[in-house]
Amino acid sequence: MSNIPAIDRNSRFKTIRREVGRAVGALAIALLVTFIVVLLTSKAPLDAITQLLTAPASKPRTIGLWLDDVAKLTITGLAFSLVFQARQFAMGVQGQVYIGALAASYVALSPLGASWAGIPLGITAAMLAGAIYGFLPGIAKAKLGANEIVSSLMLNYIAIEVCNFLVRTSLPKPQAGVLTTNDFPDSAVFPQLIKLEGLNVTRLDLGLVFALVAVLVVWFALYRTSWGLKLRLVGHNARFAEYSGIKATFIMVSAMTASGALGGLLGSMFVQGQGYGKLTVLFEGGLAFEGILVAIVARSRPLAVPVVALFYGYLRQGAQLMNIRTDVPAEVIGVVTAIIILLVSSSFSLNFITRLFKRSPSPSVAPAAVGGAAK
Amino acid sequence: MALLEAIGIGKTYPGGVVANDGVNLVIEPGEVHAVVGENGAGKSTLMKILFGIEQPNAGTLLLDSKQVHFSKPREAIDAGIGMVFQHFSLVPSFSVYENVVLGSEPRTGIRLDRNKAIAEVQALSDKFRLKVDPLPPVGSLPVGQQQRVEILKALYRNARILILDEPTAVLAPQEVQELFVAIRSLVAQGKTVIFIAHKLPEVLEISNSITVMRQGKTVGQVKTKEVTEKSLAAMMVGREVSLRVERKPTEQTERVASVSGLRIVNARGTEVVAGLDLNVYAGEIVGLVGVEGNGQAETLEAIAGLRHVAAGDIVVANQNAGPLTVLQRRGLGLASIPEDRIAEGLSTGSTVAENLVATRLNDSRYVRGGLLDLKAIKANALRLIEQFSIRVGGPGSAVGTLSGGNMQKVVVARELSEQPKLLLVNQPTRGVDLGATQFIWRTITDARDKGAAVLLSSADLSELLALSDRLLVLYRGKIVAAFLNTPDLTPETLGTYMLGLSTQTADEMQAALK
Repeated sequence: MSNIPAIDRNSRFKTIRREVGRAVGALAIALLVTFIVVLLTSKAPLDAITQLLTAPASKPRTIGLWLDDVAKLTITGLAFSLVFQARQFAMGVQGQVYIGALAASYVALSPLGASWAGIPLGITAAMLAGAIYGFLPGIAKAKLGANEIVSSLMLNYIAIEVCNFLVRTSLPKPQAGVLTTNDFPDSAVFPQLIKLEGLNVTRLDLGLVFALVAVLVVWFALYRTSWGLKLRLVGHNARFAEYSGIKATFIMVSAMTASGALGGLLGSMFVQGQGYGKLTVLFEGGLAFEGILVAIVARSRPLAVPVVALFYGYLRQGAQLMNIRTDVPAEVIGVVTAIIILLVSSSFSLNFITRLFKRSPSPSVAPAAVGGAAK
Repeated sequence: MALLEAIGIGKTYPGGVVANDGVNLVIEPGEVHAVVGENGAGKSTLMKILFGIEQPNAGTLLLDSKQVHFSKPREAIDAGIGMVFQHFSLVPSFSVYENVVLGSEPRTGIRLDRNKAIAEVQALSDKFRLKVDPLPPVGSLPVGQQQRVEILKALYRNARILILDEPTAVLAPQEVQELFVAIRSLVAQGKTVIFIAHKLPEVLEISNSITVMRQGKTVGQVKTKEVTEKSLAAMMVGREVSLRVERKPTEQTERVASVSGLRIVNARGTEVVAGLDLNVYAGEIVGLVGVEGNGQAETLEAIAGLRHVAAGDIVVANQNAGPLTVLQRRGLGLASIPEDRIAEGLSTGSTVAENLVATRLNDSRYVRGGLLDLKAIKANALRLIEQFSIRVGGPGSAVGTLSGGNMQKVVVARELSEQPKLLLVNQPTRGVDLGATQFIWRTITDARDKGAAVLLSSADLSELLALSDRLLVLYRGKIVAAFLNTPDLTPETLGTYMLGLSTQTADEMQAALK
């Protein structure tokens, strides 16, 4: 009996190794394809590729930009991981970001924003608003059978346009016609984490701390609480959950609500962060949806999310810098993203590559991969 | 000369599980060759190798004495091998003939020649006595007929050798007989059938020769004429086994559960249970007999709180269970072993430990203040793994990696880790090997001996006769006969009532209804 946990741990390491191998392999293939695309399209391909691979780590400022992205990607990755683990395909993080940002902005621009309460109250308001916005598609699915993919996507548009409308109309702004609000008072903006003489790490702020805390909280909630176990059981097999007496609809709605709170937090991290310090239309720039990639590659494991975000954030930043400095547009990163998602979510494995190259028979990858071939 | 030969086949899965180790198999043309062995003995792996789904690490395959190598099922199909899996791969919304021809359709130009397809399917079905109407959608057919569609599919692709993976596991006794008729007709017309099975009486009835596997090795190949059920069972498990279950006398006076006037209407609006009354007393096993789909499963689900009841009362431990939730009913001492362990009884992606506490997430031993007590959960898993001798890497292994018998043991361990008052059991040993079957039977009878009231439903009449104290026969959602389980009660007697050929009068039933 005593050797059982050892075997257990061993197989867990094996799984981790396999998953990491898959992710790295996917990344390598994706980069290879990207290089080919750049070679074919760019006038100075080497320069472009060098920018993509080295620019983010080249200066403290770009490192700051990178890590700030990592914090945000982590939060959206966690939000998607939560709903994916419950097997709900809610796509509402983007909408929650806008609604959360809106709530945070109202707090920041009110008299409260100028007091010490600006940050904590702003975050709370954002998370509450996001939670409500996550709850809506959940309850609509539970009570009316509305498909959560459709309803959450529609709610995204509503949130974006409501935000747009309020920024253009009633929210206070420096002059008519601009698409941003007034700057928030300093007391409502997250403080910079590192302030060194000559080292201007502008972007890096309190948001990074929130992201790390959120990783631990989500991990704890999923793996150490009965709510988390129920959530994972519902995600694995909803019929079994019902049979065990777990209220699957409650779990489903609560998972979507909790994920919504994370989305709201991300909204506050955007507008109250060093990057903006104000509310702007379309401030989020599509980052929320990139959480899907992060969650998929991390297999919805909260502890893997920041690691994936670290790598992906680097590429994302590299692509943007490449866009600015060379003739290759940032959209090239879309190629990387698409290939990675394709490879990681399919039954791709490293053996598959080796088999591609030598046409000789090799042992089958895993029993699980066989199901498809069984037809 | 052998038609198909496997010599020294070895297969080790990544992760080190040795599924096949020096397996030999010799299939003569025109025979029914049964491959028997407990779950995890490596039968399925061997068949997957024959069909090109898995590639062996060692050994050779000879077809017509020529060495062959199948790297994918397509190559095996082209070589004339067909396989029917336990879980069918049919398109439910497509018609029978569409399913059969799918992938190799007869065409005129680029159009599917519908009439030709129907005619060909009809001809095949007539030729091999696999009676099935080519036109209705497959989803509307009973399981037995879906299986025939699968066999037709293989035959349509000119299979000479047909591998049937546990074909009888999903069938009612009558359907098994029909399948056997078809198999005999196939063999008579020159086909060769490889038949994987658990149930020894069936193997003895249908096969010409038998290969016995145990723990990834072939124990031996025998002629069916030369063996008995007992000697075969001993070969399979490596020791003498008894197929009987000892039961202690119990006092059956305390009524634990009663159902009166139960009516259940399913999602399609059909009445599946039509006014059912039954009582279960502590210390007895009541067997619900019936061809599948006559309301047994629905009755059990209704008692467990998993199905909406149209009318009638359910009383468990002197409490009206109608308004109670699943957990509240479990709190009254109800335990339930569901029909389909993978679909309903387990979460295959979760760990063994998590599966073993899934029904107790309101129990303060495992959850306090919303937090999991991981130590207690692990200790519980280790205790149950030991007590129920579940073969598994450890409490952290995913249930999906276990064999069928061990999965079922996880379900049984969870439900019987504490003595239940009322135990609902549906198909406890379907697709489970002999060793595990015996173990599960003993566990259920132990619970009965200790005073549990047990309601048992099973498609296997020998199981019902081995375990039950009383038997109630259901036909179209009503009890049509009731028997005390006496030695002179035969499957044939039950059969006439199961098929609705006759019905007992109220007086005849009285004695066994209690």
